[in-house]
Amino acid sequence: MSNQSIDIGSETVVRRTVLRPNGLRVLLGLTVIMALLPFIASPYVLLLMLPFIGYSIALLGFNLLFGNTGLLSFGHALFLGVGAYTAAALTSKFGVLSFELLLLVATLMSALVSLVVGALCVRYTRIFFGMLTLAFGMLFHSFLFKFYYITGGDQGMRVLRPLLLGMEWRGGKTAFLTGPFYYYALLLFALLGLVMWRITQSPFGLHLRAIRENAGKAAYVGVQIFRMRLAAFVISAVYGGIGGTILAVTTGLADPELAYWTHSGNLVFMAVLGGSGTFAGPAIGALVFVVLQDFVMSITQYWRFVMGAVLVLLVVFMPQGLSGTVEALVNRRQGGR
Amino acid sequence: MKLTRRDFSRLAGSGLVAAAISKLFAPALAQNKPLRIGIIAPRSGAAGTAGECGIRAVQWATERMNKEGGIAGRKFELVIEEETNPKDTIERLRRLILQEKVDAIHGLISTGVSLGVAPVAEEEQALVVMWDGTTQDGVKEMMPNSKYVFRSTDNECEAVMGSLLAVKHFKGKFKRVAGINPDYSYGRNNWEAFKQILARYGVETEFVVEQWPKIGTMDLTSHIAALNAAKPDLIFSSMLFADLPVFMKQGHAAGLFNGVKMVLPAAGWQINQLKKEFTPEGIIFGHNTLYFDHPQASPLQKAFVQDYMDRYKEAPHWEADRAYFALATYKAGVEAAQKAGGKWPTQEQVAEAMPGLEVESLGGKGRFRKDKIAEQVFYQGPSTNTNKYDFPTLASIDTFQAEQLQKPPGADFWEWIKTAKMPV
Repeated sequence: MSNQSIDIGSETVVRRTVLRPNGLRVLLGLTVIMALLPFIASPYVLLLMLPFIGYSIALLGFNLLFGNTGLLSFGHALFLGVGAYTAAALTSKFGVLSFELLLLVATLMSALVSLVVGALCVRYTRIFFGMLTLAFGMLFHSFLFKFYYITGGDQGMRVLRPLLLGMEWRGGKTAFLTGPFYYYALLLFALLGLVMWRITQSPFGLHLRAIRENAGKAAYVGVQIFRMRLAAFVISAVYGGIGGTILAVTTGLADPELAYWTHSGNLVFMAVLGGSGTFAGPAIGALVFVVLQDFVMSITQYWRFVMGAVLVLLVVFMPQGLSGTVEALVNRRQGGR
Repeated sequence: MKLTRRDFSRLAGSGLVAAAISKLFAPALAQNKPLRIGIIAPRSGAAGTAGECGIRAVQWATERMNKEGGIAGRKFELVIEEETNPKDTIERLRRLILQEKVDAIHGLISTGVSLGVAPVAEEEQALVVMWDGTTQDGVKEMMPNSKYVFRSTDNECEAVMGSLLAVKHFKGKFKRVAGINPDYSYGRNNWEAFKQILARYGVETEFVVEQWPKIGTMDLTSHIAALNAAKPDLIFSSMLFADLPVFMKQGHAAGLFNGVKMVLPAAGWQINQLKKEFTPEGIIFGHNTLYFDHPQASPLQKAFVQDYMDRYKEAPHWEADRAYFALATYKAGVEAAQKAGGKWPTQEQVAEAMPGLEVESLGGKGRFRKDKIAEQVFYQGPSTNTNKYDFPTLASIDTFQAEQLQKPPGADFWEWIKTAKMPV
């Protein structure tokens, strides 16, 4: 009997990861649909789309590490936490309300933290990398939880409503979130998506894929493994920080759960659900995850069981994720290319 | 069919009349629909049993109140969502407001969650009546002037009462004191309040060890070993989640409680799990705002406890009372506002009417203060294992009013605890 285990950090996934131009088209199509959504959807649906945008941005970065570089981080929520707490500290402790400034500082903080964490983690691969990132994530969570004179402990820190482009938006919080902030976040998503597309298509992206395929051979032809991996780690962390800032503004709170390992697990779930082998897969995973969780939570108290069952079924029957499965079906219809 | 000008005028006229009639009777039609009350409570994890107890109580109350005519003549129904982490709970709150379009939201147990939820509710202008949640950052009230958010009694009430009863029942009988409290603001503030009260009453003590297990830790052997090594005469613990029975079981096995006095101000939350075989007698045992076995219980409490125990084969605890209290005060508020205005009230009018209205809850009479913080009755006392149950009850009952146990509006808790007139 053959014993097939699913090694999601290694070659099994890696071989499926082929970047195609349609990934960008899917992402842009998604952006256009999202831009039209306020004309037809209820405020609640729009509010639900904000976590999707936040997670999608974080997952674009996450997938640079996972899908392109072959490094599976189990502590990526750390950077969402950094972004969220940066927004919280700046708005409620220092009175900084400019959203652009929040994004800038969150970017810098995420880059700084990821430089230190990444310098230690990217020396390792596979389970060792995963465990190290998990350990750093939990260290950060413990810091947030224990030092409650600084971080508010379990109660977290409030994130005040920011100014967009220096302008104060009147009206209720829902109107702000579903109006200007929605479009601002969507624009950020589109821009960061384009940037990530450029990154993955650049020689740097090619280096990352070469490292993923065979680090030894890549080093032999002159690819600087450590520097490339570290750069990917820092970029993915910056995306995480920006995603975390959007999540925190939407919720109005930064709390330690954002950096907890289960939240990192959710990111992995979303990436696997959408399909880490395609460019837009993780974003689709984020959308399905957010909508599915909302739906299941509203109909049963056993929603965790349902979500767990979905993950099991997904890994067993659709290891390439939703986008990978759709792609495979389309290919089959087109003559099995 | 040809439409003449006269036909058109007739049609337009009837349309206008129909529109006017529908506007005229809109409030009446709205009132025919059942009122919708959103409930947010934990249903799994460390606080799952507490949330479930509260949900059962509101379901019981809903059935009973609807039989008696509902709220101001309108039947009502519950829409239940789960309280999880702050981020997800805020999303559930928004779902109840925007999607389910509920008339009010009740529930919330964890202050860590309610502190994040409350400002969102206030911004959304949604009436929220919390069961056990507060808006205290530590002991500092963060929303002293909330318009729509009603909070439970302060988190420290039970610790203040437990500390006072430790003085009353144990003064002169202990010196070496140990603490094991949950590692979050509630546990830390309760421990500090206990220490301050002992100091205020001049109790000569030596604090020998402090342990801070994370909520939900199910292996407490290292903490128990540390307590055992310190050889305390008294242990104070404000543990209240599923880890409390584990602590008692593991502590009993390690011989920790032999000859040691104990103060457990929030043990009532785990009453059904604290079995006699590992729970010693004589503990200062807190039941908070509902002592299910009160010999002088009101007919309302007796009816509820009997129904609850018959149906679920276990005893209800204070979360049932908090949930009932939230519903009863909301009902009183709606009815008072409707009476005052002569029509169905808005959420704002209900929120204005609620403070000061005294209602009978399961555990006794209670009300909301003007700053929208609850005042209820608290029950604690030394425990006994001589009873018909498989868990402890109270040998004697000490009853304090919330006014005696919580800081007045606007006061600083640590200053108040030093100067307040205490009931012991």
